[in-house]
Amino acid sequence: MTMTSTEGSNHGPSVAVPVATHASLDISKLKDKISIRNLEFFYGDSRALKSISLSLYANKATAFIGPSGCGKSTLLRVLNRMYDLYPGQRATGDVIFDGDNLLRPDQDINLLRARIGMVFQKPTPFPMTIYENVAFGVRLYENLPRAELDGRVEQALRRAALWDEVKDKLATNGQSLSGGQQQRLCIARTVAVKPEVILFDEPCSALDPISTAKIEELIDELKQDYTIVIVTHNMQQAARVSDFTAFMYLGELIEFGATATLFTTPKDKRTQAYITGRFG
Amino acid sequence: MSDMTLKGATVTAAEAASRSAVLKRLRLTDTIFHGLTRVAALAVLVLLSGVIIALVIGAAPALGTFGFSFLFDESWNPVTEKFGALAPIYGTLVTSAIAMLIAVPVGLMIAFFLTELCPMVLRRPIGIAIELLAGIPSIIYGIWGLFVFAPFLQQYVQPFLIDAFGSIPVLSTLFQGPPYGIGMLTAGLILAIMVLPFVTSISRDVFDAVPPVLKEAAYGVGCTTWEVFRYVVLPFTRVGVIGGFMLGLGRALGETMAVTFVIGNAHHVSASLFAPGTTISASIANEFTEAVGDIYTSSLVALGLILFFITFIVLAIARYMLMRLQQRVG
Amino acid sequence: MTNTTIATASSPLYSGRRRRNAIAKTLAWIATAFGLGWLILILGVLLYQGIGGLSLSVFTEMTPPPGAAGGLLNAIVGSLIITVLAVLIGTPIGILAGTYLAEYGRHDKLSSVVRFINDILLSAPSIVIGLFVYEIMVAPMGHFSGWAGAVALAVIVIPVVVRTTEDMLTLVPDTLREAAASIGLPRALMIMRIAYRAARAGIVTGILLAVARISGETAPLLFTALNNQFFSVNMSQPMPSLPVVIFQFALSPYEEWQKLAWTGALLITITVLALSVIARSLTASRKSS
Repeated sequence: MTMTSTEGSNHGPSVAVPVATHASLDISKLKDKISIRNLEFFYGDSRALKSISLSLYANKATAFIGPSGCGKSTLLRVLNRMYDLYPGQRATGDVIFDGDNLLRPDQDINLLRARIGMVFQKPTPFPMTIYENVAFGVRLYENLPRAELDGRVEQALRRAALWDEVKDKLATNGQSLSGGQQQRLCIARTVAVKPEVILFDEPCSALDPISTAKIEELIDELKQDYTIVIVTHNMQQAARVSDFTAFMYLGELIEFGATATLFTTPKDKRTQAYITGRFG
Repeated sequence: MSDMTLKGATVTAAEAASRSAVLKRLRLTDTIFHGLTRVAALAVLVLLSGVIIALVIGAAPALGTFGFSFLFDESWNPVTEKFGALAPIYGTLVTSAIAMLIAVPVGLMIAFFLTELCPMVLRRPIGIAIELLAGIPSIIYGIWGLFVFAPFLQQYVQPFLIDAFGSIPVLSTLFQGPPYGIGMLTAGLILAIMVLPFVTSISRDVFDAVPPVLKEAAYGVGCTTWEVFRYVVLPFTRVGVIGGFMLGLGRALGETMAVTFVIGNAHHVSASLFAPGTTISASIANEFTEAVGDIYTSSLVALGLILFFITFIVLAIARYMLMRLQQRVG
Repeated sequence: MTNTTIATASSPLYSGRRRRNAIAKTLAWIATAFGLGWLILILGVLLYQGIGGLSLSVFTEMTPPPGAAGGLLNAIVGSLIITVLAVLIGTPIGILAGTYLAEYGRHDKLSSVVRFINDILLSAPSIVIGLFVYEIMVAPMGHFSGWAGAVALAVIVIPVVVRTTEDMLTLVPDTLREAAASIGLPRALMIMRIAYRAARAGIVTGILLAVARISGETAPLLFTALNNQFFSVNMSQPMPSLPVVIFQFALSPYEEWQKLAWTGALLITITVLALSVIARSLTASRKSS
């Protein structure tokens, strides 16, 4: 069964159209959460992304894979405009998030980032207690009574499958946790702000296999409420956690499709070479 | 666990509106804070320009009266109000030269010792001791020089030098006259002791920045420790080491208290290192509060301006060289 | 000759190299002993001369008139007041400027100029700073004052704090900044709540080092705060300070004054060394954690 998007008219001729092979991935019933159209990205004068167009579907997990330097992390960092922190980096094209182009110059970046959360390669707990780490973002936007805030922190920590491990030491420093726990603390911190999309930038590359399994399980659960985008260099991980996969190479989107299809019957030779481990 | 999910995982419209309001307020904070830090950064510039402008205005009467001859005139007479900067400039340069002549080789050898020879257990304690020596206030060196070092030189070292070099031309000129204890040589030696820890700790930091593979490669072809240092470490770090020396020189040129105690405060240019003299900073420290009359005060400020000008150039060269080393290593 | 090895232990070239190596190593040992010898000599004399005069009266009595016994109370209090005020004036400016260099303007032109100028100020002769403050405060106001002394020392505090604040903030990993941005935190809050917290130990170290630096500074006080024989907390009047009293007493012909100068010198040295040791241990414990 081959499907084309119902929004085909919006897509330029270069748009990669995902091909789904089983009924659960009926693309016509999926909603675009973020539509990337003709995105180009520059570090100074060098072009790091070349005319990228693809859709990130609501409540699905999309993985970006490809060899190092292919632009997958760059693409992820466009989605919450993290590149704005650094001079000389800029993006052109359209990235439509719920009908709003998030690349427009007057975009409220802080508000945008609260809606599109991010979890990083290395765990990044803030230099404060476990409780404060989670409550910090909430306090920023909401003036909650103590009891309600406690509830929010607990919910977020449970959501990140960390509550049972830390409930007796909420007042200890977040940096005293193990690497895997720190990473889940960062997920809790992200979730507490109630985002709509969560970006994961190689979230397990600094973790051991057991912690990795926990995070992967967590990502699978988070899909119920959030749209997930994950960058990974680990193809097994992409196959395990994602519904859709985008393969990138040298700043170009080579192939985009349902994960099951892309990994079993890739259309492009380069995709095939990469997933069979011939380069990367 | 699944029954404990965050209820209403994403924000409602009302929540979104309140977030916008909060962020608007925070953005104001951001603008104000950004502005404050920028003002503070500009304040650093204003400070330096302020120093220059204040000194130029203060020095104007003296420079207007004496013109360029101020730089080359040895006379310093408060009674006739005739002032010249030659003696203090000469004293500043001579004492700093003595200090660097001693501190540079000794400091380099200590840094060589610390980076290549010192047993690991001693490396940290000795390094810390050297840095503590650098932190001792200069007035301590001054009082120690006045009460301990100068009498020692007067009794033992100076008579010996006079005897030893009295019959040799040039050197006999340098070491002539009665051994007062205080004078240019004493001031230079105290400055050397003061500058030594600076030169040492900067050289050590610079030597530590040499990539280990470079040294290993040299050892690999059979170089001795000294050869590795002399032919690999020193050439590689040359720019940084010179930068460190300049920093030490800047320190020596501007040093006040250590010198003021032991220089003797005499506005004479004398070839003998035993003769009392003065430096720019010592003249200002000794005479400023007692100076009567605008020209006298202004002449002292003019001395300060000259000192600032000299040290500015020396320090600028030092920073430039250290920066070049950093670019090379980093 | 079939032997292809050029290096043999007995060749004259090699023995010459070995000899030079041995000489250089010996010289390095001697140089180090020489350098450390001065430290021991200076601290030894200071302890010997200073401890003799150390008594309770040093902390309870005023500086005496020539030839009489007394203490250093007014000088100690004056030094404390001037130092605290200098830190209060200089630290906020220094931290804010350092923040600009490390956070807002890390790559811009203004920052590189400010960085350079700050390095110059960092090692500018302190007596010139004294002259500067004399020109802008003492001369217009017509009299020496504690305020002028505090401002002069603040000018010395600022570059030290700017430098350490920038260095310490630069050590805060960018990932932490990105993480803060990723939950929608505006820059100012990221800096105040996250970066300052992460760099706290280092920034405090910088302030302590600045205090250590100014607690022995004499030259900038000579013609700003001047001196005062009496107890004074009036900042608008000349104010005594430990270093200036030491300067004046040490150069006097009176034995009691000279003795007090040694005691004051010991007090200052202990303070400065204690501050540097505390500052050092603060950053050391941070590195190990």
